[in-house]
Amino acid sequence: MEQAPRDPERQLQPAPLEPLGCPDAGLGAAIGKEAAGAGEEDSGVDTMTHNNFWLKKIEISVSEAEKRTGRNAMNMQETYTAYLIETRSVEHTDGQSVLTDSLWRRYSEFELLRNYLLVYYPHIVVPPLPEKRAEFVWHKLSADNMDPDFVERRRIGLENFLLRIASHPILCRDKIFYLFLTQEGNWKETVNETGFQLKADSRLKALNATFRVKNPDKRFTDLKHYSDELQSVISHLLRVRARVADRLYGVYKVHGNYGRVFSEWSAIEKEMGDGLQSAGHHMDVYASSIDDILEDEEHYADQLKEYLFYAEALRAVCRKHELMQYDLEMAAQDLASKKQQCEELATGTVRTFSLKGMTTKLFGQETPEQREARIKVLEEQINEGEQQLKSKNLEGREFVKNAWADIERFKEQKNRDLKEALISYAVMQISMCKKGIQVWTNAKECFSKM
Amino acid sequence: MAGGPPKALPSTGPHSLRDMPHPLAGSSSEEAVGGDSTPSPDLLMARSFGDKDLILPNGGTPAGTSSPASSSSLLNRLQLDDDIDGETRDLFVIVDDPKKHVCTMETYITYRITTKSTRVEFDLPEYSVRRRYQDFDWLRSKLEESQPTHLIPPLPEKFVVKGVVDRFSEEFVETRRKALDKFLKRITDHPVLSFNEHFNVFLTAKDLNAYKKQGIALLTRMGESVKHVTGGYKLRTRPLEFAAIGDYLDTFALKLGTIDRIAQRIIKEEIEYLVELREYGPVYSTWSALEGELAEPLEGVSACIGNCSTALEELTDDMTEDFLPVLREYILYSDSMKSVLKKRDQVQAEYEAKLEAVALRKEDRPKVPADVEKCQDRMECFNADLKADMERWQNNKRQDFRQLLMGMADKNIQYYEKCLMAWESIIPLLQEKQEAK
Repeated sequence: MEQAPRDPERQLQPAPLEPLGCPDAGLGAAIGKEAAGAGEEDSGVDTMTHNNFWLKKIEISVSEAEKRTGRNAMNMQETYTAYLIETRSVEHTDGQSVLTDSLWRRYSEFELLRNYLLVYYPHIVVPPLPEKRAEFVWHKLSADNMDPDFVERRRIGLENFLLRIASHPILCRDKIFYLFLTQEGNWKETVNETGFQLKADSRLKALNATFRVKNPDKRFTDLKHYSDELQSVISHLLRVRARVADRLYGVYKVHGNYGRVFSEWSAIEKEMGDGLQSAGHHMDVYASSIDDILEDEEHYADQLKEYLFYAEALRAVCRKHELMQYDLEMAAQDLASKKQQCEELATGTVRTFSLKGMTTKLFGQETPEQREARIKVLEEQINEGEQQLKSKNLEGREFVKNAWADIERFKEQKNRDLKEALISYAVMQISMCKKGIQVWTNAKECFSKM
Repeated sequence: MAGGPPKALPSTGPHSLRDMPHPLAGSSSEEAVGGDSTPSPDLLMARSFGDKDLILPNGGTPAGTSSPASSSSLLNRLQLDDDIDGETRDLFVIVDDPKKHVCTMETYITYRITTKSTRVEFDLPEYSVRRRYQDFDWLRSKLEESQPTHLIPPLPEKFVVKGVVDRFSEEFVETRRKALDKFLKRITDHPVLSFNEHFNVFLTAKDLNAYKKQGIALLTRMGESVKHVTGGYKLRTRPLEFAAIGDYLDTFALKLGTIDRIAQRIIKEEIEYLVELREYGPVYSTWSALEGELAEPLEGVSACIGNCSTALEELTDDMTEDFLPVLREYILYSDSMKSVLKKRDQVQAEYEAKLEAVALRKEDRPKVPADVEKCQDRMECFNADLKADMERWQNNKRQDFRQLLMGMADKNIQYYEKCLMAWESIIPLLQEKQEAK
């Protein structure tokens, strides 16, 4: 597929109000369950029909992980894992898929993509990456990043990340995302050239900094509160779950000892021997069954982790609103004070303390010309300020509107996903119980033959 | 006594009690009581009836009480072994109703012992007395003393080993009650021990202490005889069959010890798992309070985990109360059995030594003196009793362990079934609104 020409004209706004409507602006195809929002496609539809290619369904998969060695920025040897991303287009008619793109990326590139999206789409709850380092690990699992199970789970997490973006009505159209899937070399440079790092609001990173906002949108305040609590509760849940897994592992494994001792005991028994021996075998089966059970449960833990990290993304959107509101209020405050200054100069009354006022008293009043000049400057500033305030207001309202739309979308997604996660967890528990019943029933039968 | 019936003396198959619940009762024994576990009739007959100057194996009877050798009761006893379902069982004992007694000097628990019997040895058809642990302890020593050639069932441990347990707690008392009940039932099932006079008094006397003070030594002939065996003789080699029993008991006790440790470890791990579960469930509740649509599903999961926690607690309690004590009892049992084996060795040693002494005397007409004959007789009786008891013990052990292990499997099955039910019941709750959408 030919490389789409870069768009150097892309304006960086704190909140793009419309999807990027460039013909080469990204995938735009309906992907997965979440079809691109109907309203969003307006500008894109025309361009899509231009090129039939975009109408095809696209499948994305992170199909492999490979250990690599290379040199890092400091020219030191390092080992890292690379992931193979394959994109396939699916013909509507016969459902067959054709591999269209395939390239290797490492975790840091995924991070770069996400950081870029965070800056360019601050009103969107940006899907999170799987964890960088293994956390909430129960003892049997390795916390080592190179451990094959961890790598495998991360591969799945990265695939999930890409699928989330691809199924998001707005994010899926992003060109950089498109290039991430299609342009192997130079992609990093392309991203950096957008200059997004410079535009990033560093205040967003300062999580603990508080800004005194007088009139925040209450919904966002509540939402931020919610996201904090959600993070806290899911962390707690994951920690305890890991401990539960540990203990459960212990219970099952100790039963394996029965296998050995029953076997030894059966050696000295005449009639009881067979029953004991075969029961012992079932105890071994029981003990070894826990490995698969807990491996399946890790999938549930991963689902929870995704939403733990999503909570952070949610918080970031609220934070952005807070900062915008803060800037707005600061600007309004500044404007108000300038207006007042202007008024005072014009009327000659000094209601507020000012340095000028003091110096005037000390050194005598300024000349009318000087005063006129100052008033003029102030009036210009006031004008500018009013314009800015107006556009900031507009921006703010647009942000709130768009952000809230995405938040509603996110809430639905979250409720759906978590419900499914709970169902699959319950199904896992049911399967575990049934296995337990089976094993003990078999053992009981052996005992009955003693 | 003349014309002994061809049938063998009753061996204690497990007769299911009709009237009284047996705490470890299983289904009725599938094997015929008379089967391969019955000791050879001849041997037993010789023991019980062959001796002309017999004092009955159940111990000396004070004047006035009819002897079990009288034909009616004998017939009764003999009919027992043919009955698989215990229809003609004539002695039932049950231990229940523990009560705490607070006195100035001490606090202790007594248990009610209810006896129902048609045996002539009992004046009344039914008795109800109260006994405390030390009374059981007394009974056991008396049985050991008076029936040294038999295997006496074990008592639950006198002192609580793991010091933190409260000896007046409901669980402890109940566990002990079950063990004491089992103890008496084992004696009841024994064809010789159940006729022991001390046992009778234990079951019937209003004032046991008075009887204890009388210090009546009601030794059987064997008891008397064995009591006087000098310990000084060393047995050269244990006969093969008894050596085999000894080896078996050694390994058996070892394996049981291992199983006990494993079971304890499992319980410990399960309790630690339970502790975590008790923290895990409520976190879902906390989460539920934050949510709207997810509130009910999350609360449901929380409740579910709570139910599983309760089920687990029941499992660990059951295992602690029902499983571990029985294991320990059997370890104690095998220990006391090894002592009996040693005593047997002493009897044989004495006999062999005396025999040798005679042989060395080089008399013209080597005549086996009476006391050597007595030794031989003693040894042969001991061997017979012991062998018979061993077979009986093996059989009961098999029943007991089958029951015990099946019980363990059952408890685990029940635990998983409870959990299964809990999780299955919330699936519809979790799926509900999704379909309603």
